[in-house]
This record gives sequence, structure tokens and C-alpha cells, in this order.
Amino acid sequence: MRYYELIYIVNSNVERKKIDQVMKDISSRLENTDSKIINHVVWGKKKLAYPIKGNTYGNYILLHYEGGDNNKLNEFDSWLKLSGLVIRHMIVRLEEKPDVVKDFGDEKTENNSEKKSEEIVEENKEQLEKKNVEEDKEVE
Amino acid sequence: MAFQTRRKYCFFKENNISTVDYKDVKLLKRFTNDNGKIMPRRVTGTSAKMHRKVVGAIKRARTIGLMPFVDSGSE
Repeated sequence: MRYYELIYIVNSNVERKKIDQVMKDISSRLENTDSKIINHVVWGKKKLAYPIKGNTYGNYILLHYEGGDNNKLNEFDSWLKLSGLVIRHMIVRLEEKPDVVKDFGDEKTENNSEKKSEEIVEENKEQLEKKNVEEDKEVE
Repeated sequence: MAFQTRRKYCFFKENNISTVDYKDVKLLKRFTNDNGKIMPRRVTGTSAKMHRKVVGAIKRARTIGLMPFVDSGSE
């Protein structure tokens, strides 16, 4: 079985209840395609890189699932586009089985990723310095 | 020496990263210029294999609105 990731954007001006309702709708519709839902988490409100259908902000929601019936999944894809529930969606095939995420998305993860890339940059600097020193020695 | 040559290196090889996720905008931003264009391999020094993955990831990120197609910078 193949694993997929569905990412979709919901209007950020709607209430939390409405978002839950949309998530429920999509879950139930997806379950009708014999797919197994692994994760369904809110990633958070983000500024869009460019306006989509007049929106400058959007609530990103991630959904990992194990694919079921292919024809039904195709129908699900077009239903999602026509339903008007989401501003935009994208389905991506995953190479590996996704891990079960408990609390994704909140600001915590964003901070973590920032830290990570900062660390990487620092490591790079250190490595470059080392290399430079070595090269200098060679020159000497 | 009159000037120092900057050494090119593959970012992913140096950091032992083998997969690129389109959701990791912070990482992908390294490979685009100020206008949001994907920078060529000869500038970034990325290996061919990883560059293909980066390009794919950036295009996905653009589709879902995480990265700009064109960044005018006036926002």
C-alpha cells in the first residue's frame, strides 16, 4: 500500500469550530475510499507567499493516510477541489510510512526548526574555519 | 594571494541530509535568490542528485503557497 500526504489550506477567518467541521467532513469522505488515516493535524496559521483566492493568511492542515481504492481516491481529489471547503490542497506520495505525530504544527516545532538550521549554520562555519586553517597550513 | 577563492561545497553532503521536505521553507530559502528564483547549481554548489530534489521541493512549496513564485519584496 502507498502512503500519501494531503496538505490543505482553510480560510483563516473562520472559527475553530468551523475548521473542526471541515476536518471531520474530509476525514469521513476519505474513510469512504477505504483509506486509513494516520495523522490529521493542524499545522497552524501562516502567511501565504502570495494571495490565493483573495486570502493573505491561511490555516494549514496536514493529513497522512494509507491509500485505499484508487478510483475512489481520484474522486475524493476532485471532490475536494469542487467542495469549496478549502482554499487549496495538494496530495503528495510519500516514500516511507509516516510517523504518528502527536502535537505537530504549534509554534514549538517552528522554533525547533529555526534552532536546527541555526545550529547547522554554526557547524558549517566551524567546519569552514577548520578547512581554511588546514589549507593555510598546507600553503605554509 | 591577491584574493581568496570561496570553496564550493554541497550543503546536504556536509550535513548528511538525504531527503528534502517541501514543508521546510527555512532550508529551501537557501536555494532561492531574493526574487524567489531557484539558484543554479554552479552558484550553490549542490550535488546534482540533491539539486533535483531541492528543485522539486521548491516547486511543491510554491504550489501550496509556502514559497513565492515571484518575490517582489514590497510586501
